Amino acid sequence: MVTVESVLEALKQVQDPEIHRDIVSLGMVKNLEVVDGKVSFTVELTTPACPLKERIEDDCKKALSGVSGVSGLAISFGAQVRGSKVGAGPTDLLPTVKNVVLVASGKGGVGKSTVAANLAVALKLHGAATGLLDADIYGPSVPILMGVKEEPKKVPVNGGFKLGPPIAHNIPVMSIGFFLEPDQAVIWRGPMLGKALHQLMGDVHWGELDYLVVDMPPGTGDVQITFSQQLKVSGAVLVATPQEVALADVIRAKSMFDKVMIPIVGIIENMSYFICDGCNKQHEIFSRGGARRAAERFNIPFLGEIPIYGPLREWGDKGVPIVVQEPQSEISGIFMEIAAKLAGQLSVASEKARGASPLKIVSS
Amino acid sequence: MVRITWNDGHVGDYPRKYLRGYCPCALCQGHEATTVRYIEVAGAEIEEIGAVGNYAIQFRWDDGHNTGIYTFEHLRSLCPCPECEK
Repeated sequence: MVTVESVLEALKQVQDPEIHRDIVSLGMVKNLEVVDGKVSFTVELTTPACPLKERIEDDCKKALSGVSGVSGLAISFGAQVRGSKVGAGPTDLLPTVKNVVLVASGKGGVGKSTVAANLAVALKLHGAATGLLDADIYGPSVPILMGVKEEPKKVPVNGGFKLGPPIAHNIPVMSIGFFLEPDQAVIWRGPMLGKALHQLMGDVHWGELDYLVVDMPPGTGDVQITFSQQLKVSGAVLVATPQEVALADVIRAKSMFDKVMIPIVGIIENMSYFICDGCNKQHEIFSRGGARRAAERFNIPFLGEIPIYGPLREWGDKGVPIVVQEPQSEISGIFMEIAAKLAGQLSVASEKARGASPLKIVSS
Repeated sequence: MVRITWNDGHVGDYPRKYLRGYCPCALCQGHEATTVRYIEVAGAEIEEIGAVGNYAIQFRWDDGHNTGIYTFEHLRSLCPCPECEK
């Protein structure tokens, strides 16, 4: 006779393909019921953007085909993003955010903001609660890219006030640009910058978020240090262009994140190639594969190649991410796939962070 | 005494005065940082310990000093146990 125990025993053969542990010990099997040989359960994925759902489903079916007496099988899927913050104390500036992910680059001009905006919206389209924070003090472009017209509003929270971020394309968006006069350069030194960023992190009413995507300024400076010290960051994604010289920027960014123990969860190559609308030939304008080679060299997951595509920039300038404007296009497919891989890698990083006995401060 | 249990099982007991003495901040160590300085203080009580991101902890001492960010790496290198002293 089929029992709950025998089903669980069989499901222990099914591994989460990314975390490399079985789904039973990871606590992903929920609502398991066995009635007259009919088995039903929910697999609670670690992200709604799970890139390997079909594979997990197949593996479950395979595992249960070996259990005699199973007359019916119904597998449903749910998702619960877990987050890496176990050791976060009362000083946590973002208690309602499960994962903070920094989109960074060693240098400017690689299309980081466009990638950040599209990834944030793609994660939302996959079903995850996502927010977008623009911390690029040198060129806050997220309000333009997301077409945000309104200002943040004061909202009452727990007896005090917080800033309610404007919603654009269904996600809350906050930008340091909201606090600057248009066309004015930020001429702040470290301490002032730290204060402004602190407000941008702690004084914003984000609500419950699975992912907060942060568009970082380029390079390795004050803003990066502030984020690494004041937040428990789940991971950083590096955006690079294909040419060999980009490698040097990746190395610099990596060495900074290593120092502050923020795991790099992926590298994305932007401007990888251009498909000519006249001859359909792929032109590799800035060469190709440099970022992939950098990823291989440092053993960092390579998340994908984004081509040069006119409408991506045109619609960005009009405030519409391409994944919203042309959801069926090839490039949107690429963004959705990169977002799913990123979510998968964040689950892996979270599981690692939770497993590595996080910092606990006790007094006696 | 501050006891640190590392995830490799190693345990280190740090006298508070010793931790305060090796405060890594620029006020204590200077900006050249060619040699490591030891700052002698009369007494050192800890008022608060906080986490700094993913990589360090910070103490607030009873004299108000709180600018030292002690990275895990630095703390491990400071471990005063006989085994690490060798």
